[in-house]
Amino acid sequence: MAKFLKSTALGMAAFAIAGSAAAQDYGNFDGYTLRVKLIGGAQYEPLYTLIPQWEEATGATVDILSRKSHFELDREMKQDIASGNIDYCVFSNHTNFAPQYDTMTEPLDGLIAADVIADFSPLVISHATVGDALFSLPRHSDVSNMFYVKSLYEDADNKAKFKAAYGYDLAPPDTWAQASDQAKFFSNPPDHYGTHFAGKDEGITGRFYEMLIAEGGKLLNDDMSPAFNSEAGVRALNFFVDLYQSGAVPAGTTNYVWDDLGLGFAAGAVAWDLDWAGWAAYFNGSDSKIGGDVGVALAPMGSSGKRTGWSGSHSFSVTKDCDNKEAAASFLTFLTSHDSQMHEARLGLLPTRSQVWTDVIAEFEAADNDFMVEVFSVWGESMANHAFTPPLIAEWGEISNALWPRLQAAVLGDMTAEEALKKASDEVTEVMEDAGHL
Amino acid sequence: MTRLRRTIRDNAVPLALISPAILIILMVVLLPLIFSFYTSFTNYRLIRPDSLWQWIGTRNYERVLGDWDFWVAFGRTVLFLTVVLNLELLFGLGLALLVNRITWGQRTMRTIMMFPMMFSPILVGFQFKYLFNDTIGLVNNGLQALGLTREAIPFLVDRWLAFFSIAFAEIWMSTSIFAILILAGLFAMPKDPIEAAKVDGCSNWQVFRHITLPFLMPFIYIAMTIRSLDVARAYDIVDVMTGGGPAGRTELLWTLIARTAYDDARMGRANAMAYVSILLSIFFTWFFFRKLMAARKHLGAF
Repeated sequence: MAKFLKSTALGMAAFAIAGSAAAQDYGNFDGYTLRVKLIGGAQYEPLYTLIPQWEEATGATVDILSRKSHFELDREMKQDIASGNIDYCVFSNHTNFAPQYDTMTEPLDGLIAADVIADFSPLVISHATVGDALFSLPRHSDVSNMFYVKSLYEDADNKAKFKAAYGYDLAPPDTWAQASDQAKFFSNPPDHYGTHFAGKDEGITGRFYEMLIAEGGKLLNDDMSPAFNSEAGVRALNFFVDLYQSGAVPAGTTNYVWDDLGLGFAAGAVAWDLDWAGWAAYFNGSDSKIGGDVGVALAPMGSSGKRTGWSGSHSFSVTKDCDNKEAAASFLTFLTSHDSQMHEARLGLLPTRSQVWTDVIAEFEAADNDFMVEVFSVWGESMANHAFTPPLIAEWGEISNALWPRLQAAVLGDMTAEEALKKASDEVTEVMEDAGHL
Repeated sequence: MTRLRRTIRDNAVPLALISPAILIILMVVLLPLIFSFYTSFTNYRLIRPDSLWQWIGTRNYERVLGDWDFWVAFGRTVLFLTVVLNLELLFGLGLALLVNRITWGQRTMRTIMMFPMMFSPILVGFQFKYLFNDTIGLVNNGLQALGLTREAIPFLVDRWLAFFSIAFAEIWMSTSIFAILILAGLFAMPKDPIEAAKVDGCSNWQVFRHITLPFLMPFIYIAMTIRSLDVARAYDIVDVMTGGGPAGRTELLWTLIARTAYDDARMGRANAMAYVSILLSIFFTWFFFRKLMAARKHLGAF
């Protein structure tokens, strides 16, 4: 019955979108073939099922040249830039990486109508703006908050033992110091751990970066020299070092990235997990071992009183070499329209249009889906007040690659936090020199 | 000069006939090599096409030669090559000798033996990443279920365990290359010397040591040459299993070079690294070819 209701609801939603695609004027590009490169993967693909509606509405055809993971697509586009072979119009982008594609990106300010842009969350639009130019139209946003296993936190025995050990009540953490205490308290290796964290690539850089901000530090100085080799930086890095060295996280966490974390939490391997909203429905669903037992809370605060909130948005951009920029802009507008975003938001992805937040919460309320209402309330608060991006510069990827092996070295005990940050700082200085910033 | 002209005149037709092939080889092989060599002297960054013309002299090479991490990766690649090639040789030789003795179902065995080679290295990487995972991995769960350990063994984190885990995956996938080539050698081997040795009272070990193995050595060195080039460029399996980490503990030359080239987009520097790394491949190729020639000479005297 539940399945029937779900498929009926999806069917009605698709019908509504089909209706609205036809109702809204996306222009007429009869006979034109729009060539695009899109990000692929389970959470991105459902949106592409709507593309035939845009084709029907405009008479154009969409030719998807690439449908790859973010990192594969990133490599491909760098090769396209190097070879000058940019024979497509639209590409999937990400606000944090958009500056590195600046030579191929057409600013959208004149292409997308101002009233369309006005419907988006101003903070997200500011994240998509590089210099004064709007580089991409955000599709959905990412920010991490706390997921925790409710039964562990509600267990009377756990509460009593925690209070005796740490001197305060066991509750979802409001500060990272509390989160650390709780991770250690719940850890019982090798069967169960307090938490885990993304331990390599941009994952650990991002987690360190947001902790650095929450500790009152900053990544770069105004002159673009590295600023993370500071007391705040050491405190931020030692948070992860302490979790690892105390055995509160699995030893393999330094190899974990997003799928490992999501699947691990769903398997009930850890007590709390700082993760993306896109996992919410899966965590609390029937395929998860902790389904129905998941709580959510805002990401905790660091010692500066600021909450962590490393954020960014998946987005779409138009190429400078595009031979039909109006068609490309129409396609972008369609893929980020209210109805398209409702389609993604129902799956748990965070919308970038302000109205979609209200509408999707109302829809979850009407369906008595209290969990998703809570998820969207928490993540809405996070996106509105606590989210921040890395510096929007082309060198973010290189900075990350200079940082993460050093962060890992400190976490594993190969060097101290001070030594790791000093080495990383020297490498970032070299990166910024080569890029002409210093 | 007159001699050269005469040679060209006398061989005009053959030269004309092979000139398209030479031209294609020049375009396909030499031009990219010259281009990449040139870029190693520039500040070429993929995302800044104009940087192709920023000549910076030997700065990339100076930085690479003075980069401790690069030399650690270089040394680790040499160690990886040594461990992997030797173990592949031992296992491949054993496998070939065993299969050679089978009288029934040998063709099927040969086909089965080649299965690991048919997998994509990326798939093999994911398979072993899962097997060696510290929490959900089959190996850890098996060891814990058998009561052999209570700890989760960090196969992909510990410096040496991680090294041997990636070596294990590489060996699992490619041992059959050695086995197939050695098996081909065993098939081509004349039976007379072996029979004569047995008539003279040689033990099995003496026959193997003094007749079979010397005959197989050229085949072994060909396999060594091919695999040394392959392993020196090992990338996919390592990238999937550990990404060269954690903390650079399994960093090999090509994981470092690929990250510099594509993730960092610093193609100039990556090419400088690649040209220094090529020395390794040239050395191993030269070394094994010398050994191959020596083995052939030995066989000639046989």
